[in-house]
Amino acid sequence: MPDLFLRCTYVRTRLQGIAVCAIVFLVLTASGCTRETPPSETSGPVVHLTYWPATNQQEVRLADTIVQRWNRTHPRIQVFMQPIPASQSSEEVLLAAIAGKTTPDVCSNIWPGSLREYTEAGGLVRLDQFADFDSVALSRSSHALLDIFKSSDGHAYQMPWKTNPVMMYYNTTMLENSGSSAPPRIYSDYLAMGRKIAFRADGVTPTGIWMGERDIRPIWWQRWFDFYTFYIAATDGQTLFSNSDVSFGNAQAEEVMGFFQQCYSTQIFPRTYFQGGDLFILGKKATNFAGPYMVAALKKFSPQLRYGIAPLPVPDTHTGPVYTYGDFKNIAIFSTTTHPKEAWEFVKYLVSTEHDALLLDYCDQLPIRSDVATNPAFKRYFEAKPEMLMFAHQVPYTRSMDDARDLKEIFDAISQEYEACAVYGKKTPAEAVSDAVRRARSIVEWNK
Amino acid sequence: MSTVKRFTGSFRQSDRNGFLFVLPYVLFVAAFVAYPLIFSFVLIFHRWNIVTPMEWVGLKNFERMATDPLFYKAIINTLLFLCIHIPLQIIVAIGFALILNSNVRLRGMFRAIFFLPVVVSGVVVTILWQQMYSFDEGLLNNLLSMIGMHKVPWIIDPGFAMPSIAIMATWKNVGIYIILFLVGLQNIPGELYEASDLDGANARQRFFHITLPMLNPTVIVVIVLSTIGGFSLFIEPYVLTGGGPMQSTMSAFLYIYNQAFYFGHMGYAAALAFAFALFILLVVIVQRKFIEAEQ
Repeated sequence: MPDLFLRCTYVRTRLQGIAVCAIVFLVLTASGCTRETPPSETSGPVVHLTYWPATNQQEVRLADTIVQRWNRTHPRIQVFMQPIPASQSSEEVLLAAIAGKTTPDVCSNIWPGSLREYTEAGGLVRLDQFADFDSVALSRSSHALLDIFKSSDGHAYQMPWKTNPVMMYYNTTMLENSGSSAPPRIYSDYLAMGRKIAFRADGVTPTGIWMGERDIRPIWWQRWFDFYTFYIAATDGQTLFSNSDVSFGNAQAEEVMGFFQQCYSTQIFPRTYFQGGDLFILGKKATNFAGPYMVAALKKFSPQLRYGIAPLPVPDTHTGPVYTYGDFKNIAIFSTTTHPKEAWEFVKYLVSTEHDALLLDYCDQLPIRSDVATNPAFKRYFEAKPEMLMFAHQVPYTRSMDDARDLKEIFDAISQEYEACAVYGKKTPAEAVSDAVRRARSIVEWNK
Repeated sequence: MSTVKRFTGSFRQSDRNGFLFVLPYVLFVAAFVAYPLIFSFVLIFHRWNIVTPMEWVGLKNFERMATDPLFYKAIINTLLFLCIHIPLQIIVAIGFALILNSNVRLRGMFRAIFFLPVVVSGVVVTILWQQMYSFDEGLLNNLLSMIGMHKVPWIIDPGFAMPSIAIMATWKNVGIYIILFLVGLQNIPGELYEASDLDGANARQRFFHITLPMLNPTVIVVIVLSTIGGFSLFIEPYVLTGGGPMQSTMSAFLYIYNQAFYFGHMGYAAALAFAFALFILLVVIVQRKFIEAEQ
């Protein structure tokens, strides 16, 4: 009996202890929840989202402003902003994050060329599963533009966000000094003007100023700003693939390659890799091929640096509007998110008209909208920076990347041939294009 | 259970201690040698970019390799590097070893200085040489300009780039070979030189008929070590030129690395590495045949 009594007492004491612990735990947990919930909200847990914008100063400032506004007005969905971790390229970081399942909920630096890898890895949330996706997307862009960003399975995994159409900046003073009244529109004009700028009147002595300059290193993405964008311009908007087949083995590609070969062989482009400052800003080159983000940097040097913006030069026989590469960056939700609906709400907030205006204001980058040049919300911005209207009018004539595997290696193949043909003149344009196409096809074939 | 007990019971205590002592190394080899080797062998039959699931492709990686001109170019570049680097290394190392073996002042300090680049990080050395090789503002070209000579396109001309890397690699590694040759020189019996003096041999004859033949074993060691080091050429072109200009400095290792970590083709890179390992094996077999025949 005493044994039984002692055992009962022991069990009761243990039960009391457990009950006390449970109460303490519940109280602490409850108080913890209360601390996390902002005072305005008393019911339901707080959802936390992570958002990765690009790392440049302007976009971090934009993201910070938008996130602060969101967090103030959405106490139940709190967003934590962190710029994409540092690496050689954001694509590498995102791939590593997908492999390690450490992706954020939302990222606004999605290059369409990498999308296929992300979707094949199951890394992205299908956005057209949300009932209002079509209405939100169509309120900004046309069907035709949205179709560019659809994946090969017919679904949408990215929200088109911003574009940086590549155009030609030219130094107005140098242009006038060369006796020209308008920027060069075709290749022969460009080369002729280049000779006047790069050489003195004797045609032999260099002036120390170049008509243009490109990074001569065979870095794959550098071709977006020379061969690829000029190819799009020369072909009225064609990209590297057509019906899933490599299609750039044509006369226009050879013409583009030949044009750059002439730029180097006539020494109006330098065969050197420069470090330490932008040559256009330093007044060492007359033209530059870049997106609208360069306007902010140039503004700091005006009125001493007088510049204009024009469409890219095209082959002499070309007629009609001039297309270009859009350098698009879009928004995606990663499949690691446990709150896809809340993440979608945040994405919609990011692409609102108000924040598109902020994108223009803070970053000088254009939202992918059909009405970018006409929407009253952006009127004040374009009045303050009229040169940006050139880019706004270019938006309908921009092209993106193909939805193909291994674009990086295909661009690397083009880069190698560009270097051999254009920079060093070791191959004819026909050989270079043919070799690039052959290598691209072998990459595509290997991927099948 | 009883079987396991019988099995472990059959070992003597000293055996068990022995197994415990080798266990850390066995674990190390299993984790860092055996597992990666087996895994890369599996990879050569797959397509895998780390992110997407592995996909069986059979011999497709080898099919692509057979028609990949860049891989063959990378092997030729590596062989070119070896052809420049090995003789240069031997000549420079023997030259400095002979000087340091004589009665020069501050001999110990010079030995330490020549060895210093060996222990400095390859990346640091390469960045330093990148500045020296710069076409427009590099130290070497500035010196050439000062004495009225033309600038040399050290790393921006396809014809100069690989020899420039070989010169830099020689500067970096020569210290260790100087030490090896110094040891070899100090092991040559003094009587041989005394006898040659009595026979009236001059310095050139002494070098070619005594020093060089007696250094032959060291030369063989240097050739083997330089070949192994040369085949793994990576840091120098990776940092200095990225494989350019016109792929003239694309070494086999750099190409394999690019395929694996730049383009994410793990399977194809494994196939390239497997083929390259076979090629190295072939070179080593040929080298051994020649060296053994000479010996």
